[in-house]
Amino acid sequence: MAVPVLALRDVSKSFGATQALSGMTLELFPGEVHAVVGENGAGKSTMIKIMTGVHEPTSGTVEVDGQPVTLSGPRGARTRGISAIYQEPMVFPDLDVAENIFISATDLGLVQRKGLLREKASQLIARIGMGLDPDRVASGLTLAEQQAVEIARALSQDVRVLIMDEPTASLSAHEAGELRRIAKGLAAEGVAVVYISHRLEEIFDIAHRVTVIRDGRHISTRPIAEVTPDGMIAEMVGREVGNYFRKDESHATPEVLLSVRGLSQEDVYEGVSFDIHRGEVLCMAGLIGARRTDVALSLFGIHPATGGTIHWKGQEVRIASPREAMALGLAYVSEDRRKLGLAMPLSIRSNVTLATLGKVLTRWGLLREGRERAVTQGYRERLNIRMADADTPVGKLSGGNQQKVMLAKWLETNPALLIFDEPTRGIDVGAKAEVHDLIRQFVRAGGAALVISSDLPEVLALGDRILVMREGRQMGIVPHEDASQEAIMRLATGQERAAA
Amino acid sequence: MTRLSPGALRILALLLVLVLVAAFFATQIDNYLNARLFNRISSSVAIVALIATGQTLVILTRNIDLSLGSVVGFVAYATGAIVSAAPEIHPVLLALAALAIGAGFGLLNGLLVAYAGIPSIITTLAAMAIYRSALVEFSGAQSITTEDLPQWLVDFPNTQLFTLAGVQFRAAFVAAVVIVILVHLALLRLRPARALYAVGSNPEAAEMAGIDARRTVLAAFVAAGALAGLAGLFFLARFGNITVVAGLGFELKSIAAAVLGGVSINGGSGSVIGALIGAVLVDLIENSLVRWELVSEFWREAVLGFLILSAVSADALLMRRLTRLRIRREKAAPAPTPKEATS
Repeated sequence: MAVPVLALRDVSKSFGATQALSGMTLELFPGEVHAVVGENGAGKSTMIKIMTGVHEPTSGTVEVDGQPVTLSGPRGARTRGISAIYQEPMVFPDLDVAENIFISATDLGLVQRKGLLREKASQLIARIGMGLDPDRVASGLTLAEQQAVEIARALSQDVRVLIMDEPTASLSAHEAGELRRIAKGLAAEGVAVVYISHRLEEIFDIAHRVTVIRDGRHISTRPIAEVTPDGMIAEMVGREVGNYFRKDESHATPEVLLSVRGLSQEDVYEGVSFDIHRGEVLCMAGLIGARRTDVALSLFGIHPATGGTIHWKGQEVRIASPREAMALGLAYVSEDRRKLGLAMPLSIRSNVTLATLGKVLTRWGLLREGRERAVTQGYRERLNIRMADADTPVGKLSGGNQQKVMLAKWLETNPALLIFDEPTRGIDVGAKAEVHDLIRQFVRAGGAALVISSDLPEVLALGDRILVMREGRQMGIVPHEDASQEAIMRLATGQERAAA
Repeated sequence: MTRLSPGALRILALLLVLVLVAAFFATQIDNYLNARLFNRISSSVAIVALIATGQTLVILTRNIDLSLGSVVGFVAYATGAIVSAAPEIHPVLLALAALAIGAGFGLLNGLLVAYAGIPSIITTLAAMAIYRSALVEFSGAQSITTEDLPQWLVDFPNTQLFTLAGVQFRAAFVAAVVIVILVHLALLRLRPARALYAVGSNPEAAEMAGIDARRTVLAAFVAAGALAGLAGLFFLARFGNITVVAGLGFELKSIAAAVLGGVSINGGSGSVIGALIGAVLVDLIENSLVRWELVSEFWREAVLGFLILSAVSADALLMRRLTRLRIRREKAAPAPTPKEATS
């Protein structure tokens, strides 16, 4: 048996209390396209970062040509011939194509010879079969062209392992086909290509072997001939549906609160149509790049939709700003707590009243601290927020408690519809169950919830109906009775499309 | 390809603005366009252009150096002290001393920014105050006067090198322009210098591409310090009298020159030639406002500030337009046709 050019042996990685990878093993041989699949959060990104030297493994070894090595950062990995390209290409917008390709080359001398650079760049671009002018400035390139530049940059340094992390997620079908052709060509030249994608059809088109990972663990590695789409999905989903997640009966009423028809935003998503009834939880499932958050941002007026209609309580409305959305009775609990959700250095009580400051001000615009404390105390009991006191900065709380503070902030606006984006990402199982209960309480009390989640057990536990999106398109709405993890994954990966 | 690069386009636009500004003031002020105007501006630009060039190097990496004015002042005093203590010192040695002292200050800034991770605006704000105080301490609040200096140094800025169309080109100005052009060529042609653009353009990508971003930032600060040091020597030669306030405000003037010259404050784009023209523009406007009766002296600074704001917003608008145009053109153009792989 040949020696793998790059291998992970029993590699584990933890960040604080979170175990991102445990006992991961992977062998890459020259000339193969090795697909790695897994759900969001399965540990793929961590694995790539270990292979490219961004992270060091907590335990286990990385081997190059059978020798254990320590990769010191991306530079160290590059000198050993390991390069990665990402969904978002890493180009320098102000430099031209040729300069982008050779920016870190060390063998071209001190003085830049434009002619030489251009000629060498043209050779590399020709090698991957693209037509691209080396003089063009990178900021004007399409995403696909930027990726070609990145691949050429990797090739400029004698690449032996090329890791492609969801390279086609933002590309058109034609461009994606081109990229796969390039990847195949490189493998034929003897490069080991790691190909990560959520598009199963791509994997069957390109891969020689497939590794499935789940929850940071290696599940299987098989030649592509021995893999079926259904078998692969079953392995990706795999885990037992735990007892934490229990669906209670639906509280949906006949009253339609929000009705969306043919909603679209140019170049982002299109054809999104659904109703949400009072008392209902509608879940949105899909993989990364499905554009679910973009739909939520449109509904909340952050990036208004460019097409389609929105009816709120039977009236047609246009929602052009978060202020208007809040006036209607919408609230949006963001997935990005740090950036869009909480003011981390501020106290808990300041965060709770942030969206409703008017309620705790006196007639003269002064803050009534006692009132603020009372409001915060109310939520502390209702949501079981574990905190020392209301003056603690929110940043010091655990993820689950931060989530509850954010929820408290929005509940205080007294919304009729709560849009919840990845409500339990990065919080522990106990807190998850509590957040689920809070969502159920909210709809029982006459609200409605739109929950975006990539966590399939969560979707099944919460959703009265489940809307599945894929790459900006609505693939179908599955009622809870008919839903299973496999059925949702088939829609989310484009294996089938329900009659909508 | 005869298409002009965006950089060249920007330089042309700047020159056009320069001509327009000069033409405008020519209609407002009697006997405006003459050799005296050129002399006055060129002797001032000789100093500011050097500082603006250094500032540009730093801004290209998405940083800023507020301490350059203090460095100019310190080096002006230090070189003055050296030359009065040892009047026989060789001019080249004195220039090297100026460069070295400036580079030392730059090294300090760069280490703090690149390796200790302190944001450049904070580091250099502190450094600005500290270096200024160091000058006060070092000088014992004594001034250097022209009498302390050797004649060659005092003569240097006014030495007439050649005359073109009745306009005198003096040594300091010519030296500064030559240095700016050298730095410009280095930025354009030296491969390590391209890292400055890469780091400022996309720091994360630079890291992923294996560029040593820290060393690049450090190098920018050292070079900026050295250039400010040289400017300090020019300052000494021009004014002769050096007090503890020497070079005060030059850091802001250099930023204004760079920004007017089209250097993006977000890093990654711009040229030192642009900064040179920016420096000329700032000086031209300042000089002209003094002679423009319509604007009272209290409003001069405000007019300058207003001009900087308009230049930057015009630039932002123009660039957005251009980008949108380019995207539209690319969408209209057929997708690049893939060729068969040749290997």
